[in-house]
Amino acid sequence: MHLSSSYILSLTTFVYLGATAIYLLYWIFRLEKVGILGTVVTVAGFLMQTAGIAMRWRESYLMGYGHAPLSNLYESLVFFSWVTILVYLVVEFKTKNRVIGAFSTPFACLAMAYASFSPNVQDAIQPLIPALQSNWLLAHVITCFLGYASFAVACGFGIMYLIRGDGRGSSSYLLDALPSRRTLDELMHQTIIFGFLWLTVGIITGAVWANQAWGTYWSWDPKETWSLITWFVYATALHARFVRGWAGKKIAYLSIIGFVSVIFTYFGVNFLLSGLHSYGSS
Amino acid sequence: MTTKNVHSQSNIVVRFFSSVKLAIFLFIILALTSIIGTVLPQGESLQFYLENYGPFYFKIIRTLRLYDTYHAWWYLALMGLFSVNLIVCTVKRFPYTLRLFKRNYLEMGRDDLLRRPFKTQWKTAEKTNPSDLRASLVETFSSLAGKPEARENVDGGQLYLSDKGKWSYWGVYLIHLSVLVIFAGAIFGSLTGFKGRMMLLEGESTDHAVQMDSSGNMKKIPLGFSLRCDKFKVDFYRNGAPKLFKSDLTVIDGGKEVLKRSIVVNSPLTYKGVTFYQSSYQSVPDLKIRIVSSDGKQKVLDLSAFDKGLWPEKKLLVGIIKYLPNVHGAPAARVYVGDPSGNNGDAIWLLEGHDREVSLGDNTFRLSLVSAKEKYMTGLQVKKDPGVWVVWLGCAMMIIGFAIVFWVGHRRLWLWMGKDGEKLHVILAGQTNKNKVSFEKEFEKVKKAIDTQIGEK
Repeated sequence: MHLSSSYILSLTTFVYLGATAIYLLYWIFRLEKVGILGTVVTVAGFLMQTAGIAMRWRESYLMGYGHAPLSNLYESLVFFSWVTILVYLVVEFKTKNRVIGAFSTPFACLAMAYASFSPNVQDAIQPLIPALQSNWLLAHVITCFLGYASFAVACGFGIMYLIRGDGRGSSSYLLDALPSRRTLDELMHQTIIFGFLWLTVGIITGAVWANQAWGTYWSWDPKETWSLITWFVYATALHARFVRGWAGKKIAYLSIIGFVSVIFTYFGVNFLLSGLHSYGSS
Repeated sequence: MTTKNVHSQSNIVVRFFSSVKLAIFLFIILALTSIIGTVLPQGESLQFYLENYGPFYFKIIRTLRLYDTYHAWWYLALMGLFSVNLIVCTVKRFPYTLRLFKRNYLEMGRDDLLRRPFKTQWKTAEKTNPSDLRASLVETFSSLAGKPEARENVDGGQLYLSDKGKWSYWGVYLIHLSVLVIFAGAIFGSLTGFKGRMMLLEGESTDHAVQMDSSGNMKKIPLGFSLRCDKFKVDFYRNGAPKLFKSDLTVIDGGKEVLKRSIVVNSPLTYKGVTFYQSSYQSVPDLKIRIVSSDGKQKVLDLSAFDKGLWPEKKLLVGIIKYLPNVHGAPAARVYVGDPSGNNGDAIWLLEGHDREVSLGDNTFRLSLVSAKEKYMTGLQVKKDPGVWVVWLGCAMMIIGFAIVFWVGHRRLWLWMGKDGEKLHVILAGQTNKNKVSFEKEFEKVKKAIDTQIGEK
């Protein structure tokens, strides 16, 4: 078989699946070596994916189109998965806690599986239509997906927080391996602020671009509106900290609801609603 | 008693508008109601909603203006309430933040320092010369932590403070203010600007844009100058996807050509605050029809689709009813030929290369379709929005505000030196409200340097 970028990228699905399994094993058996293996496999998948993206970029030049691989649903899914792993690796490096990997790598694996194997997603390299021929494409897609990936990781923290429960009574071997609720709350907050910053920049770069292409920075197109809805959900999560009794569990739920809203902004709008962003759907 | 009542009532109002709970409530309500406009088609005719949703939902849609959700009175009212909440919250929190900002962190005692989250202390051996050591410790501290402020006689010693990033408390204000600036820019733009469209045939010029109002009426917006389309070009990729839409435009102001530029999607043209965006195109036939009268006189009419032309001398009107680019390999047009009143006339098919004769009264005309070409018509979006720079200013403020909130923290490092009998007592303390990890590194660095110096003496 010809070694194409999409073949290599489809293989990373399984590398990330392996990483998820290893991190789960690490969570269960807590053997330091297993944890290190998880990191090694994740980094290997990340490097492989980076190579795949670079190859795809080059292929696009060879085909005479010459654009960064960030222009359709397939490419955005690959990029989402790539940034999710990047954000996770930074978190792992900073917290030194590898159990988090069991809750972050699945998002990257699922995104790659969907990109590579769903009949709805075409992996062909397509030329850029006039509306997409803008430098703002790169700025817009990169910032949005930095936000989305951070929210995926924050959603992982939210799930961990809820699994950990209120810490009373049912203390168990598995739960004890998770970071403390205080740490999880802090991590969740930090990742949400980080994602919120990039979502905001993503919305703004989109507005600047729309203004340049169509003369309107905001037209209440379904994708725009859903990104605003997502923004409201995370704004709620950030302000909830200042209300007594709202920290912790409620924010954990909000980080999950927020990510559902991200997913809807990302896919739901493409498949269920119509609008200006239709080129993101094939 | 009454004044007290009034006071507490106004307090309730202020407390309501300034509460974070109201902000959260508004976030949730705005998020939920915003969904409506993404699920229900927007901007259709009322008839459409009646037919598709039935009389019951139609009434709701009409009353709540759900056909234009984001401009409905209740949605705008929510946005207004959101702004009021933001303003009151900000004003109310202001003195509190100002206190934090103005607070002098040198006003601390020795025991206060030992209650900071980061602290460490030393006591030197008796034989060292305290004043030498003091000077070199202050030097080390200021070179590593930044030039400190000092206060004498703090529990019998000197206190030094390096205070950085105090201003970061204002980051949140910048974000909150930016939302209001964006709103202001959007309102200002919608009051002073306009949005319209124009369709220009190659070679054609116009001095106005066209706007469609909500009831479907056309309104002309004068530009104050003219715009001409010299040429339009469309290009496709091999797979059929569009590659390029390009219009060559000329601005004519005061009878002179003042600006010539090509625009493509993503690269508009701006003149005197009005911006022209490439938005669509149409191909339009350009037909040449020759008419020869029975007295031997002839005329050539240049007509577009649905166009009509007059031969005044012969009182003859020719109009294009339909155009087909390819009938048995040649272009064809259905043409009306008759007198200008429309009372006496005939519709005939003209095929390129085949003449047709039409008798009208005592005259016979011989018509031929000389040529038929495709001509392009470019569709431009026309916009004037003086508020857009205010919106961008707000966006920049928001991004800077977020960057401050995320990355800049208020960090303090204290050094206290006092006497404990003949020994020198040194305390290093630190505190930060953000990024504890990197602060810990900085603290350790200063601690190590002081360690070495005290050890050396």
